[in-house]
Amino acid sequence: MKQSRLINVLFVVPCVFAFIMIIIIPFFFGLYYSMTDWNGVNNDVNFIGFKNFKTLLSSPEFLFSFLITVAYTLINIVLVNIVSFGLSLMVTSKLRRRNFYRAGFFVPYLIGGIVLGYIWQFLLNNILVDLGNMLSIEVLKTSFLSLPHTVIWTMAVVNTWQYAGYIMLIYVASIQSIPASLMEAANVDGANYITRVFRILIPMMANAFTISIFLTLTTSFKQFDMNLTLTNGGPATRFLDVPVKASQLLAMNIFSTATANRMAEAQAKAVVLFIALLVVSLIQVSVNKKKEVEM
Amino acid sequence: MMKKTLLRFMAISLMLAAAAGMAFGTGAAEKSKDVTVNMFQLKVEIKDAIDGYAAQYSAAHPGVTVKVETLGGGGDYGGAMKAKAQAGQMPDIFMIEGRGGYDIWKDYIADLSGEPWVADTDLSFKVDGKVMGFPVAIEGYGLAYNADILQKAGIDPAKLTTRTAYENAFKVLESKKAELGIDAPVAMAASVAGGMWWVAGQHNLAAYWGGGLDFNDTSIIEKALKGELDQARFLQYTKYLQLLFKYADKKILLNGSYDDQVGSFAQGKTAFLHQGNWVDPNLKQLGVTFKIGYAPHAFLDVEQKGLYLFAPSWYCVNAKSPNAEAAKAFLASIATTPEGHDYMVNKAGMIPAFKSVTLKPSGQLSQALMAANAKGGNYGVFFGMLPDGAGQNIFGPIFDLFAQNPDNINQFIADMTRAVANLAKK
Repeated sequence: MKQSRLINVLFVVPCVFAFIMIIIIPFFFGLYYSMTDWNGVNNDVNFIGFKNFKTLLSSPEFLFSFLITVAYTLINIVLVNIVSFGLSLMVTSKLRRRNFYRAGFFVPYLIGGIVLGYIWQFLLNNILVDLGNMLSIEVLKTSFLSLPHTVIWTMAVVNTWQYAGYIMLIYVASIQSIPASLMEAANVDGANYITRVFRILIPMMANAFTISIFLTLTTSFKQFDMNLTLTNGGPATRFLDVPVKASQLLAMNIFSTATANRMAEAQAKAVVLFIALLVVSLIQVSVNKKKEVEM
Repeated sequence: MMKKTLLRFMAISLMLAAAAGMAFGTGAAEKSKDVTVNMFQLKVEIKDAIDGYAAQYSAAHPGVTVKVETLGGGGDYGGAMKAKAQAGQMPDIFMIEGRGGYDIWKDYIADLSGEPWVADTDLSFKVDGKVMGFPVAIEGYGLAYNADILQKAGIDPAKLTTRTAYENAFKVLESKKAELGIDAPVAMAASVAGGMWWVAGQHNLAAYWGGGLDFNDTSIIEKALKGELDQARFLQYTKYLQLLFKYADKKILLNGSYDDQVGSFAQGKTAFLHQGNWVDPNLKQLGVTFKIGYAPHAFLDVEQKGLYLFAPSWYCVNAKSPNAEAAKAFLASIATTPEGHDYMVNKAGMIPAFKSVTLKPSGQLSQALMAANAKGGNYGVFFGMLPDGAGQNIFGPIFDLFAQNPDNINQFIADMTRAVANLAKK
């Protein structure tokens, strides 16, 4: 049936209207406010150009927050993808009850980040420490969340626990779409398991890696809920000789700036986050795309 | 063909309905001569009490209805207020928590200097001599102690009026830990992680801002706002803070939440608790039966006996509202009528900031504060004069670092000196 243009337009309009009102207009408002001194309430808003951005560059707490966000993202990309790829190999093998494992590994993803943060905080601060005291294991006696140099790694581990099951599903779908004849042919040719994984499976799944790395990259960069409940930004540490919060990622840093009624400054930080995320993810996708093979 | 026409008809009518909804949905506001005073407040613990009082007041005053909206536990009150202001729904009565809030909302805040309750309180919110805020309650703190534990350890709480006295008391408690069944002498929290920056970076630091001075003496904090720290005084304060950190339960200090801190004291596992009278309901809930009192935060080399008293928040009347007069009358009724007093003390369990109130609160710490208030010689709490976010974002990490390593006095003083110097730049 030929469709009428009018109907096409009418069905698209509500969506486009919402998109423009909720995404496009606020986005440009945001850009504008990042160059003002607005505090969130005051009606007289003064345009101050790039002053907010200059302040950010000389602010140790923001620089530190940016750096640990990058570090946290890198750790996550490696950890989440290795773990979830391993899991996907496991649940696509001839393992018994593999469907049960698939469901099991996926369940943490269904728990909200807020709840999950509190659960792990309790585990790490109370259960592990009590265990350490009972069994006299020196490493466990202080919570991993209270040491500045372990806190980011701990967050990455918790994030992996939550997120690996989800990424695993993407890998599983990709592995299952590879024709069985390819693997069998390699098997007949005498390639062992490791060779098959590295020479056939991984190149054939390159598009799954593109999407998985993209997803882990963007979610880690924007991490907020688990950050807030698990560590609340603590403990404190020293950066450029100034006390800063050791695990305050960018999103949380923006949040605490905004709640201190420095809306314009928070908006400037959000713009920086947006640009950084845009640049990094574009680079990542274009690099990964080159490695994909066409069937 | 028929099908297509029908489809087109349906699509167009849907669009029209949506457009109509947008155009007329806002509607004209209903008009009546009756006045409705809208109040927006954040103390979720008094929700039932204030709802009850508002209903009682509305019933007694025909033509006036007071509606109270309460923001649920730990919600972002500032954010909610901004949303209301942007939507043109500013409440008639709202709350501020100090100078920061005042600066944001000053265009909306009415002058209350002519109100009947002004002479009855020391804690109204004043700017340039004008009364701008109605004190919601008195809160306050010292170092709360478990009288039973101190008695067993042979420590007289009345003598805890100097830093040296505290040091000796802590040493005794530390040496008798097993015998007294305690984990550590003090339940103190200072961690960013536990969200407890306010105990250290706000309430404890308030001892430096106001301790040992006249109740309204803001000279030290005004100096700080100009970027200066009184080094001699701050050294004495730091030594006191170091004592608290050194004799604190490490787990609570570095990681603990509010519940961990209060729970430890309530279970008798610590002898001192650095918290205010707002823990009374928590202690009651945890079934505390032992006797509790307040000792002063005596950080100076000389004797100090006062507790720290303050109004944590104030009600402000929206100056741009047509109902401002009705809102003022409602606030005045809280301060001046027996029903209002009954609401504050018996229903809401608060310590009223008005001297004419004779009713007594039920909590042990609240009673201790009320007694101290009657006796006089207490200290003011001025952290509300600091810029928004100073306690959480600037002092919080500094106190957290000092708690991690309480031997490093010089670093702490250097960090604070620089942080205070930066206050003047903003």
